[in-house]
Amino acid sequence: MVDIRRISTNRWWHKKNNWGLFIFLSFLFFVRISKGSLYKDFYYLISKPFWPGQFQREILTNSVEQEFLLRLKQLQKDNTRLREILSLQRLSDSESISANVISRKTGSFWRQIILNKGAEDGVEIGSFVVGPGGLLGRVDNTSLFTSTVKLLTSPESKVGVWVERIQMHGLLVGSGNDYPKVIFYNKEIDIKVGDFVLSSPASTLLPPNIPIGIIQSVDEEVNAKKTANILLLGKPQAIDWVQILKVEI
Amino acid sequence: MVNYFKKKISLISFLFIPILYFWDPNWLEFLGVQPYWPLFWLLPWSMIYGSFDGLIIGLFLGLILDSLSPDGGFTQIPGLVLCGIWFGKLSISDNIFVGHCRFGLICSIASFFCGWLYFFQILIKYWSDHTIFLYLPSIKIIFAQVFITGLLAPLLCSLLFRLFQTSKRRDKLISFTDK
Repeated sequence: MVDIRRISTNRWWHKKNNWGLFIFLSFLFFVRISKGSLYKDFYYLISKPFWPGQFQREILTNSVEQEFLLRLKQLQKDNTRLREILSLQRLSDSESISANVISRKTGSFWRQIILNKGAEDGVEIGSFVVGPGGLLGRVDNTSLFTSTVKLLTSPESKVGVWVERIQMHGLLVGSGNDYPKVIFYNKEIDIKVGDFVLSSPASTLLPPNIPIGIIQSVDEEVNAKKTANILLLGKPQAIDWVQILKVEI
Repeated sequence: MVNYFKKKISLISFLFIPILYFWDPNWLEFLGVQPYWPLFWLLPWSMIYGSFDGLIIGLFLGLILDSLSPDGGFTQIPGLVLCGIWFGKLSISDNIFVGHCRFGLICSIASFFCGWLYFFQILIKYWSDHTIFLYLPSIKIIFAQVFITGLLAPLLCSLLFRLFQTSKRRDKLISFTDK
């Protein structure tokens, strides 16, 4: 009986040193398998305060940001003045309204989202809705507490757009899927995949230069018209929060 | 009160169709397309109450759903009214398995019919415009909707059918005892 007890207490797993060795070997194995990623990340964290030029870069970045802000303010002033001269649309000076998407129909004939802000919150028909990425659509109708937004992908939607690189106007038309089309009434136009599409500066419905999407593919020309598919930057099927912005008429 | 609710379950459930239409749970999507919800309610109801009631309720459903959809001059009323009349003429199968499959098949056909009716309206409106863009996405929507509606119909329609049938029997029994 005594012998059995002695043997059982002498097993290797009853010794703390052996467990320490086992954990150490496991750690080495992990470091080997992960190719030292743990060490690299740790080194990244402890060496961060000592990187060369960090402080200088921050000063430069701040200066550049301030310069950009000044230029942006100046350009906005110029833009407002010129748009007033031309009697074009501009954003309302009042603040935008944040709203939550409470219902969405993004995969049927009816492409719309319903927001939790309505007439009582000051939402008006014709206001436009932007989400992370850019323009999503326009407010089609409102109830007391909700507003319905007709998405750019809806077959009913038609919006004037502007291709920044070639400075040409087009008409964005919903095609019932996630990729609306831009129609250019000029077959000589030089559009390329990757061109940015913004809201048109000449639009009477929308404020200018709101990002809309990127040209994904260009179709063959038909009847002196050229069409292109657009990949929208704002994804209504995934967005939960949006901004409703008023347009001054 | 409970008895009243059980008796009127078909009408109470009717009020929840627009809520379901708004909710549109995205975990029931197929290729981003939802089933055509009103058919799940219309089919069992019309099969129990007949063609005329199917026509009336199809009209009501269409009116409600049209008011919830974007105002584009399109309507769901003709599709739902015709489906209501057709569903009312269908008999109930004794075989449970066949009955379930029939629900799926009927809802698929009805969804296909309603989808095409709606698509034709869009085509007519935009005939001279940019209709060519609408062809492929619309056909995709119609077929995806047919599939997902047919897939869910056996489950939902049989459930609603049983509910409506029990409420109708209860209704008859109560009116008989009252006499």
